[in-house]
Amino acid sequence: MTTTTTQIEIDRDKGDFQYPEQHKYDAGTGLSEKTIDYICDVKGEDDWIRSFRKRALKVFESKPMPTHWATKDLENIDFDKIRYYLADGQRASRSWEDVPDDVKETFERLGIPENERKFLAGVEAQFDSEAAYSNIKDAVAKDGVIFVGSTEGLLKHPDIFRKWFGKVIPTGDNKFSALNSAVFSGGSFIYVPPGVKVSHPLQAYFRINAENFGQFERTLIIADEGSEVTYMEGCTAPKFDTATLHSAVVELVAMPGAKIEYITVQNWASNVYNLVTKRALAHENSVVKWIDCNIGSRLTMKYPGVVLKGRKARGEVLSIALANDDQHQDTGAKMIHAADETTSNVISKSISVGEGRSTYRGQVHMPKHLKGCKNNTECDALLINSNSRTDTYPAITVRGDDNSVQHEASVSKVSAEQIFYMQQRGLSEGEAMSLSVNGFVNDLTRQFPMEYSVELKRLIELEMEGSVG
Amino acid sequence: MIDFFNKMTATLEIQNLNVSIGEKPILKDFSLTIPKGEVHAIMGPNGTGKSTLAKALAGHPDYEITSGDALIDGESILEMEPDERSREGLFMAFQYPIEIPGVTIANFIRAALNGRLPEGEELNAPAYYRSLYEKMDMLKIDRKFTSRFVNDGFSGGEKKRCEILQMAMLDPKYAILDETDSGLDIDALKVVADGVNSLRGENLGVLVITHYQRLLEYIVPDHVHVLYDGRIVKSGDKDLALELEEKGYDWVKELAETAA
Amino acid sequence: MKTESQSVTAFKETFNHHIEDLDTTPGWWRSMKREAFDRFLTTPMPKRKDESWRFASLSNLSFAEFAYGKPPSITNAQELVEKSRILEHQSGSFTFADNQTIDAEKASFELQKKGVIWTSLREAISRNGELLKDYFMKQEANLGSEKFSLLHTSFVENGALLYIPKGVEVEYPFVSYNWITGQNAAVFPHTLVIAEEFAKVSLVEAHFSTTEDVGALSCGVTHLFAGVGAKIDYTLLQNYNEETLGFQINSNIAGKDATVKTVSVNVGCRNYRSETHGQIKGAGAHVEMLSLAVADKDQEIDQRTLQTHSAPHATSDLLFKNALKDNAKTIFSGLIKVDDGAQQTDAYQTNRNLLLSKTAEANSLPGLEIEANDVKCSHGATTSQIEEEEIFYMLARGIPKEKAQELVVYGFFEEILERIEDEKLKEFARSVIQTKFSSK
Repeated sequence: MTTTTTQIEIDRDKGDFQYPEQHKYDAGTGLSEKTIDYICDVKGEDDWIRSFRKRALKVFESKPMPTHWATKDLENIDFDKIRYYLADGQRASRSWEDVPDDVKETFERLGIPENERKFLAGVEAQFDSEAAYSNIKDAVAKDGVIFVGSTEGLLKHPDIFRKWFGKVIPTGDNKFSALNSAVFSGGSFIYVPPGVKVSHPLQAYFRINAENFGQFERTLIIADEGSEVTYMEGCTAPKFDTATLHSAVVELVAMPGAKIEYITVQNWASNVYNLVTKRALAHENSVVKWIDCNIGSRLTMKYPGVVLKGRKARGEVLSIALANDDQHQDTGAKMIHAADETTSNVISKSISVGEGRSTYRGQVHMPKHLKGCKNNTECDALLINSNSRTDTYPAITVRGDDNSVQHEASVSKVSAEQIFYMQQRGLSEGEAMSLSVNGFVNDLTRQFPMEYSVELKRLIELEMEGSVG
Repeated sequence: MIDFFNKMTATLEIQNLNVSIGEKPILKDFSLTIPKGEVHAIMGPNGTGKSTLAKALAGHPDYEITSGDALIDGESILEMEPDERSREGLFMAFQYPIEIPGVTIANFIRAALNGRLPEGEELNAPAYYRSLYEKMDMLKIDRKFTSRFVNDGFSGGEKKRCEILQMAMLDPKYAILDETDSGLDIDALKVVADGVNSLRGENLGVLVITHYQRLLEYIVPDHVHVLYDGRIVKSGDKDLALELEEKGYDWVKELAETAA
Repeated sequence: MKTESQSVTAFKETFNHHIEDLDTTPGWWRSMKREAFDRFLTTPMPKRKDESWRFASLSNLSFAEFAYGKPPSITNAQELVEKSRILEHQSGSFTFADNQTIDAEKASFELQKKGVIWTSLREAISRNGELLKDYFMKQEANLGSEKFSLLHTSFVENGALLYIPKGVEVEYPFVSYNWITGQNAAVFPHTLVIAEEFAKVSLVEAHFSTTEDVGALSCGVTHLFAGVGAKIDYTLLQNYNEETLGFQINSNIAGKDATVKTVSVNVGCRNYRSETHGQIKGAGAHVEMLSLAVADKDQEIDQRTLQTHSAPHATSDLLFKNALKDNAKTIFSGLIKVDDGAQQTDAYQTNRNLLLSKTAEANSLPGLEIEANDVKCSHGATTSQIEEEEIFYMLARGIPKEKAQELVVYGFFEEILERIEDEKLKEFARSVIQTKFSSK
């Protein structure tokens, strides 16, 4: 076990990115009330949002870094050097010639269409997917589905937006939700009317658009009674951005009998801090499923949660994390049971390669006086090299004799016997390894939409190459 | 006269029993009388209500008896708790015996036997162990098993033998064997069948529930009933089992359709 | 209401009295205690945000109001000594009441000839100074109770020291009985076991109260050192009354090919905090950490464990089982840490909680930190109630419902109890649990 090469490497000091000169709308670096005024002015937001943002800024400033439980690497974030808002056309770009060859090769091998590659590589600041975007919008609008950017949602649908905005994840939930509440822009707003079942996953038809690669995106999805919707964000291709801090907030509201499935594939470049708060509120008989894949970033901290508020609500988190050299995937799930007969299921699989580190943190809470609640949690970690690392930190509280919880976790390595068997059948060690790793996550990826699971499989193959020496 | 009376009522009698799970009716007007001394077999395809019958008679809380009656020697058992039914003489060998970690077989059976004694009385320990070992030897169960936990980590065959051991120890009036052959190889099957056969006699009525005819080669029944969609669609002697094996369950479906 | 500084001054005075009473002990002993007390004063009390105190009720932790001075004389010593005879065969015993030795059974002459040392800490301070300097309080508390560990060092004055030389195997257990008798007494049970290469020994520690309803503080420390190939079997039976605040800070070190087994049976205390650190330092070592707790009424039993693997080819297995009645609360927080050099480690950690009432609360924090890749590690935590199917199976055999529930609960504990080697002790532990369980 020796050398480990990372497939995707980018220049850490991001010197090949250049910002366009546009002094008129430049919020500059650093964060203050002025930054917020600037954002509100550019976006033309109402006063209540302005004061909401300013309150959030105070909360952000008052909260310490959560390093009493989280990694000290958070201390390396220099909040004064960050650009908190980039208006259209302000996003930095670099020239295609500056894009490293191995990145170009990765795009090639992942089969990323030519016109998308430049956007992904940070060469073009905008990718024009407006055509596909309006198609899908038109298709669902017939049923009364609202599917717009969050800025537009705020301005055009304040009645629905305001009712739920910040209600699932309050500003002060954590330091980074407060930061997002102060400077959010981008993200989606979706409202699905009662009984409407959106047949195609939203977002699947335009996998790239600038809004969704926002730095502080804010997404709010409301599925009204008996409706169903699937939403996808991200894509498997590595995404390069000048911004090293990404902190999204995603709130889901499933009204009685509704079903929401939210799928994320995160593959930020390995200089990005990705600190995300995601939570759903599940009313009676509703089902919320988070499917979360984390492949990229330097540090991801993300624990999708479901507050099971109505009787017989169900919450699920299925997640895959792959941590390669210099990466820390700190992910998990929160299941807050707050009504009788609610059930939750968490399945987490992590793979640590080279010096990569993966961490699972979980919380399951079943308070007193509830009946018939059940949780099942399974965390499996696979360690590829002798210098890989994995941690598991679940926290489970159960009160009362009518609720039950089971948690199981295991750590293993790819079995040498298995590799040998495959080699004997003619596979290379690397091929055998990626086959094994794909086998390890197979029962989860099978639950993903087809195109995602195929892409994910290829991505794992790429990441696993050169991992054995 | 008394003899006559006793003979008349020495039965496990099931009258027009309707059983549902949740909202779904499983057994429909099911009737069957098993006199002591006889072995009846119920055969039928999966999902026709065989195990429902066993569990409903034993009093499992998930099975709701919507109408009908079940009587042991003339006395209705439906109002009784499961343990009262057991003490009344009804034994069920579970299809999937439950594992009870930490409770040894010896303690478990002793607790069951103590439950049958008048309040305050206890079993005589040496006599109990003599009887237990004797029955274990008969069922080819290693004596070391007495200190193992009930069904904990047992193989399929061990679990089934342990069920028959309990049956032997509890000395029931009526025994229901729910798919006792499932998961057994031929040797284990023979041991279990020998055990059951050794308990056969005029003081025991047996209901064997099975999917395959194979078990009935070893526990030869006096009567065979074919269950389909919650009802008995055909009854006969032991040859019916062979006929069924030959013609397959599609034939049962035809029978049921003709009957309806 | 005293101000904080007033109470600190008062507590300093308490400590000074304690030290003055030790004027016949060697200087190194007193200066070690002084140093510990200074660190105690500067070490903060646990705070709500401390990860190592997550879920714990901190408002019940205190140390100041207890009686640290010389206890009144033990009037019922003879009775206590009589009660301190659980085992049929033992190699030696101590009976302590409020830190005072009230009875001692020495190791046999034969064992003494082989070099076995079985002595009270009070005697060891003057006679076995070199041994104590090497081993006494050499394991830092690192699971949250640093302050209480320092409190222990500051005030400890008695305990049991057991030293087994190379190759000596001792057949029967040594036993240390620790009684609390006085009103608001503060006791500091201490047990130190050093087993040299290929030595084999077992030790039983029992913690009891003489009264039902008098409050007290027990702050105990047990350290086990198992040298190359040594075997230590340790059992702790804690049955203080339910007004007692208890801390038990244990640590064991297993050298190459050593075997260490610890079994804890926790029944008593109002608030009980137990910390157990299994340090696997030698290749091929095998460590087992077992515990069971029965909590009822408003009891809170808080258990923190750590299994650190720093050597390869070693195994560790942890099983903590808790049964909860009434408003009881338990916390299990465990961590397996495998260093990058500890390849071929097999480490397991299981926590099972059985909830027997609507208002009981079980918290479980099973953790893993793994830096070696060629390992087998797993943890499991379940919290559940008695399975309906299990009860039905028993009912179907004619066992009445109450008896069936009792059997399931005792069965739940049996997995731990059966691991206690000494038959008499096992029976005793069983009866303590059954008494507690059947009390209304």
